[in-house]
Amino acid sequence: MSLIVAAFGFGLVSMSIIAISAVGFTMQFGITNMINLAYGQVMIASAYAAYAVNNAGVSIWLALPVGAVFGAVFSFLLNRLIYAPFQRKGTNLIGMVIISLAVSLVIANVMLPIVGYYSVSYHQNPGTTYHLGSIALTGAQLAIIAVAVVVMLAIYALLRFTRLGKAMRATAANPTLARNCGIPTARVVDLAWLITGALCGVAGTVAGMNSDSFSVASGSEFLIPIIAASILGGAGSPYGAMIGAVLIGEMTEISAAIISPEYKQVVAFAVLVLVMVLRPQGLLAKRGALAAAG
Amino acid sequence: MLASHHRVGRGAGVLFAMLTLALAACGSSSTPSGSSSKSSLLIGVIAPFTGPDAALGPAYFAACLPAARAINNAGGVMGHTVSCKEFDTRGEPADAVPAAQQMVASNSNLMAVVGCTSDEAASVAPILDQAHIPMFCMTGQSEFNKTSFTYFHRLVPPDEFDAFAMVGSALDHFMYKRVALVFGNDIGSQAFVGPAMRALQGLGATVTINQAIALGQPSYRTEVTAMLNTHPDVIFTEALGPTDATYMAEVKQLNNNTMLPFMGTSATIDPVWFAAVTGAIGVQTVVAKFTAVDLGVSFSGPGYDEFKTNLDAVASQFPDAPKYSQRGATLHLYDGIIQAALAMDETKSLDPTVYNPVIHDVGNGVAGAVTVNTYSAGVAAIKNGQKVRWVGAGGLTNYNQYNNSQQGYILVRYDASGNEITIGTLTQAQTAAIIAAGGG
Repeated sequence: MSLIVAAFGFGLVSMSIIAISAVGFTMQFGITNMINLAYGQVMIASAYAAYAVNNAGVSIWLALPVGAVFGAVFSFLLNRLIYAPFQRKGTNLIGMVIISLAVSLVIANVMLPIVGYYSVSYHQNPGTTYHLGSIALTGAQLAIIAVAVVVMLAIYALLRFTRLGKAMRATAANPTLARNCGIPTARVVDLAWLITGALCGVAGTVAGMNSDSFSVASGSEFLIPIIAASILGGAGSPYGAMIGAVLIGEMTEISAAIISPEYKQVVAFAVLVLVMVLRPQGLLAKRGALAAAG
Repeated sequence: MLASHHRVGRGAGVLFAMLTLALAACGSSSTPSGSSSKSSLLIGVIAPFTGPDAALGPAYFAACLPAARAINNAGGVMGHTVSCKEFDTRGEPADAVPAAQQMVASNSNLMAVVGCTSDEAASVAPILDQAHIPMFCMTGQSEFNKTSFTYFHRLVPPDEFDAFAMVGSALDHFMYKRVALVFGNDIGSQAFVGPAMRALQGLGATVTINQAIALGQPSYRTEVTAMLNTHPDVIFTEALGPTDATYMAEVKQLNNNTMLPFMGTSATIDPVWFAAVTGAIGVQTVVAKFTAVDLGVSFSGPGYDEFKTNLDAVASQFPDAPKYSQRGATLHLYDGIIQAALAMDETKSLDPTVYNPVIHDVGNGVAGAVTVNTYSAGVAAIKNGQKVRWVGAGGLTNYNQYNNSQQGYILVRYDASGNEITIGTLTQAQTAAIIAAGGG
């Protein structure tokens, strides 16, 4: 029983990282209609950008914004230079998914000669370990959870209370109608790529901090739970992605305690399949912040 | 987990395979210096260069380059220069099959293939055997102990012997009694688990927990907590990529900043593994707490010196090459390539059906054969009408009827620079007792 409680505690960290990344991933889809399978690779590229700064002697917490900025700029450029031209030509959703897969491969293979195939670790101090019953979390892990909470609140505030958030929701619901209503949808899309790219960068850096070691190949591994959480919550729904992250993060850890570590992701995906059968639109698709009004 | 990934997008997986093939086709190949009027020969390095086991491919590429250099500096194989080319299997049988097919179909000048780890050997070996291409594989799977593949060669023991050596070292050298098994859930790593469990139980030790961990996960804290709850004396491990680094960092973190002793297979004697794990838990912790078993190689002698000279010289092509100077697999694959080249010289044939059987003779030596440690010396001896026996970087070769060769084990640890230090050897009697206990 104590192992399950401990696993629940570790699940809090996992779900925090998945939440940051899954919200960015699902917002990209919701606003720009783009399932970006290169997202995991951009996460890793951002993690390496933060590593370069950290390796120069800067605290990883100060390097975190560098990862965020790198992710934002990289994602913005990816859309402007690669995705948007294809979308303008009318490439359908499946075609765009395949293009993003190709982009992911290209990024990984371009990174290999630059950063090498060696795994790297941030220079970081995990801090004091705090205990609550069987739950044991380090100061760094608690800080990651705090970052996730702040990011989630910020996204909520952005979507609910700002003009940009309302424009994003309108663009997600019906881009043509939004444009006809005077919303500069092209600029909204650019900003969406910058914001979600920043989330991607933050997620990549905190994932690197949490895992203690990462390599170019880690991108595809990071992407799997992100997609699962996004689909589980309802594609395009940031709040759904948050709930999906909680479920996936906790299920993977607790199943590792109860069943076998080998099957931790299998269990998560089994639940995902079950939800898809019972509720194909995902848990919150109709109530998501980016869903059509009414 | 990767299987789950494949389920997410099957159509995308097909495209992925096509793109991988395309990228593999664009893969770098070392072009031999100098010119020759004769066609060049190719050594295929088929192994994981991407994916969780991406650290394996470079170790094998690092074997090919010095071998090619040694051969080319001696005038090539009957005047044919030799080059190396990477073929990426991603460590997945599903990707390895098209990679092997593409390699065979698009390169009629293949003289030999090296690599073929446990991740892909079962799917690659039949293709190469059917194409009559001599192969030197790094698979440890026991199914190749008595293989019917004529073109298969293995210069390393099966993984179960690695596992037996770990058990022997843990019980006889360190007197550990309680062992936690933490291996990646990939085919290659899992090959150690069954033999290790049988041997440990047969010799009265306790397996406190057996964890097959999914590679590349962001965290293993739940798994580490479960393992620590069993209070082992030592952890046996092979989980490549960043996995061991992540797992061991969390062991140290969750065990009050104290690392448990941990012992690796010969695959963990690798600069990529060393860099990853020391980055995560610190060099001093690795030096103090980690040991491994490795293939019985002395890292000395004229054959090793020749290898080392050529390895250092190819740093201009592959900057990391010198880091593999004490990687057993790198030494043995280098030897395999030179053996194949000498077999071609001896038979004066580029036809693998002709020179393949002679590789066995070059490795083991035949009556009256002269021992050679450099390729140029081998060519000179053959020109004098002599038979040769190759004693190269990895020492003596002892092929059995299935072209399996093995030389015993040493117990090693790292120094702070990542060099291997021998701290013990397993005697024949110890090895025999453990193998018997493990049913090997």
